[in-house]
Amino acid sequence: MEYLVNRRDIDFILKEQIHYEKLFELPEFKEFTTEMFDMVLDQSFKFAQQEIAPLNASGDKEGCLFDGKTVKAPKGYKEAYQHFAENGFIGMDVPATYGGQGLPLTVAMPASEFFSGASVSFMMYPGLTRGAAHLIETCGSEALKNIYVQKMYSGVWAGTMCLTEPQAGSAVGDLKTTAVPQPDGSYKIKGGKMFISSGDHDLTENIIHLVLARIQGDPENSTKGISLFVVPKLKVKKDGSVGESNDVKTVNIEHKMGIKGQATCTLSFGDNDQCVGHLVGEPRSGMKQMFQMMNEARLLCGMQGLSISGTAFEHALQYAKERVQGQGKTIVAFPDVRRMLMLQKAYVEGIRSLLYHTGYYIDMGKGHPNPETKAYYQGFADLLTPMCKAYGSDMGFKVTELAMQTYGGYGYISEYPIEQYMRDVKISSIYEGTNGIQALDLLGRKLPQNGGQVVQQFYAMLDEFVTKNQNEPALKVELGEFKKALDLIAQVAMSFMEMTGKGDFNYPMLSATPFLNMFSNVVVAYYLLDQAVIAHVKLAKLLEEKVDDPSQHKGFIKGNDEAAYLDGKIKTARFFVHQVLPTVRATVKSINSGDRSALEIIL
Amino acid sequence: MKIAVLVKQVPDTETKIRIKGDSSGIETDGIKFVVNPYDEYAIEEAIKTKEKNGGGEVIVVSMGPARTVESIRTALAMGADRGIHIDDAGLQADSHVTAKILAAALQKEGGVEVIFCGKQAIDGDCSQVVQGVAELLGISQVMIAVKFDLREDKKGALIQRRIGGGSQEVYDVSFPVIVGAEKGLNTPRFASLPGIMKAKTKPLAVLKAAELLGESKPRVSFVNYRLPPERKAGKILQGQEPAQMAAELVKLLREEAKVI
Repeated sequence: MEYLVNRRDIDFILKEQIHYEKLFELPEFKEFTTEMFDMVLDQSFKFAQQEIAPLNASGDKEGCLFDGKTVKAPKGYKEAYQHFAENGFIGMDVPATYGGQGLPLTVAMPASEFFSGASVSFMMYPGLTRGAAHLIETCGSEALKNIYVQKMYSGVWAGTMCLTEPQAGSAVGDLKTTAVPQPDGSYKIKGGKMFISSGDHDLTENIIHLVLARIQGDPENSTKGISLFVVPKLKVKKDGSVGESNDVKTVNIEHKMGIKGQATCTLSFGDNDQCVGHLVGEPRSGMKQMFQMMNEARLLCGMQGLSISGTAFEHALQYAKERVQGQGKTIVAFPDVRRMLMLQKAYVEGIRSLLYHTGYYIDMGKGHPNPETKAYYQGFADLLTPMCKAYGSDMGFKVTELAMQTYGGYGYISEYPIEQYMRDVKISSIYEGTNGIQALDLLGRKLPQNGGQVVQQFYAMLDEFVTKNQNEPALKVELGEFKKALDLIAQVAMSFMEMTGKGDFNYPMLSATPFLNMFSNVVVAYYLLDQAVIAHVKLAKLLEEKVDDPSQHKGFIKGNDEAAYLDGKIKTARFFVHQVLPTVRATVKSINSGDRSALEIIL
Repeated sequence: MKIAVLVKQVPDTETKIRIKGDSSGIETDGIKFVVNPYDEYAIEEAIKTKEKNGGGEVIVVSMGPARTVESIRTALAMGADRGIHIDDAGLQADSHVTAKILAAALQKEGGVEVIFCGKQAIDGDCSQVVQGVAELLGISQVMIAVKFDLREDKKGALIQRRIGGGSQEVYDVSFPVIVGAEKGLNTPRFASLPGIMKAKTKPLAVLKAAELLGESKPRVSFVNYRLPPERKAGKILQGQEPAQMAAELVKLLREEAKVI
């Protein structure tokens, strides 16, 4: 099925909202030019359309094949994976040291949107490889780095991350996999892992698992005793060539609702006590290390929500403009269809801006020469990551549902792409820390970050935006509504802190998910309003240049794609502020009610 | 072996073309420009030929305004070695003048053995430049090429071209030759990320179109631009017996469409 995406919107965010040329101020990106960035985006888009998108529906129908020993990925995946690697896409945003391309995340985000939107099942293979390789690159010894990283970025070997065990899902600390020190400095790994994405396949000659395990004697039932190990599927000889089996066995593959082209495996390590692992960094620092990959993966979950819902919306929009029903009208003319399309558009464009900005904050947080600025942006990235993950995936699912509703019966049948999108995107709210865990992360870790300083700085940025633009007549009402919602967030956050101060943790935890949603609604409203302000200035300029008679404005906007796009930005922000943002008030009312029924009922 | 590729930058195939208010041309505001799709086959074949030859140099030559440099860089990122941008500011070029300028640039370069070019550019769709350049340089040309096999002596090639009715012709041509690339000649590679990084430092010379052209003048003057008339909505015959509808269809084809 054809991959559709709004390139104009992506360019708008990068060039007119973020101004990606600001990245050239960072030492690591000063060699780049906007021309190079654009070429990277063009090629990524072309690759997504031509090489990845054709595998999406076929991979879904065919699924992965497990013959009791090994797993075969769907047809065409192997070739596409190799091409993907040859073009340098696996390590596009990592340093050049071991074969990365050194591009900023700000540019890798839209590329990631293209790839995931074209086929999320496929994209998870190189995605996990990149995450695992980058973790070894960041935390591993020189020896580990030299053996593994380059081969993973270049597509010779793939990677995974192995956390979950049957009894240890959200509670990673309960894991039972053990590591026994050996005289040569390596470890013998023993245990079972499940739900391992890209756990086994035939795309590469070897698969490098990153396994969380407990070194014999380290604290039990706690994340403090967990260490991280590199465990290759096939042993790697001293010269870097691949040798015999490392006693890693594929036990099963899951049969899932969606992402069927993705091999989700149950793996057994060390059935014959022959599984060798190599410690990454220091013992007992596995959780901290894994969080590097985890935070990246959480952002990518949000990206899965965005990319799939982004293409679902474009399909629904196209369909609505073609489907004729009743009085010879295309259904895009009907108010209820317009309502559904606007919701999709607002969520997609708002979340796109949120995610791309978070990518930009991460770049600034990593590379800005001024330590204060660096900390400022890194704080924003940390604060927004759980919102990107949870809100991005939940609303991503909601958008695919609205897209299906727009199609009517045709959306429900597999001849059209929507039902697959809806099945594929559902997983993003579950894995990499469920969305419930994200809400607790926001409330328990991110709000109190630096004594609340980060969230205060973020509030200040949004507040300043209102002050700066509140006299703009075209958006005055909307900015006023936004300011009220923003202040409600601050109030609720304060009341949570009071409650936890008094030792009441359950009520804030009960309210964590509604709080994440209302906070995200405010954040998305901010990015949409920021876009509207920019678009308003540009549209006014365009109209002044091209149209002499103000009574002709409407007609001009209708016939001019650029003007219609800019006008659409203003209307989308207004729609979101009036149709979605009022839910913030409702959520506050429900949180302030103090209703503890859910905690007290016998279930 | 010196290999040249002639490349044109054209509006993306998905662009909605708008005509300027005074009908003097198309609105270029907000248009996305890309390498002419047929030229992508030419670039790929040039790089492949260099690889098969076990060495040589691929030079990308493109005429157009400043933005044309983006297309040259794309070709360099795909693997070409250096570029020549012919700045045509202030020139309203027709196919004749374009061929003259390109031929002059190639002559100035000297020693080019194989020239690849798309068989036509998808903007003007004239398909005249390849033949023009061949004529002006006095070299062989093979248009609508679907296969290019370097001869063992590496001084010529067996080139297959598509002719009407599904037939093909094969030419055994000694260099120098200019080849007009058709879809199917190859599958163009992507500009890889490492390629894009390298392209930035590859040499790119700028020549002035007017200087290469000398005294020649365009033979075509552009009077005005118009969009093709919009296609009228189709008619759907329904609600009758098939035989009745068939009769109705024949009647319409005869009387309304006047095609039978």
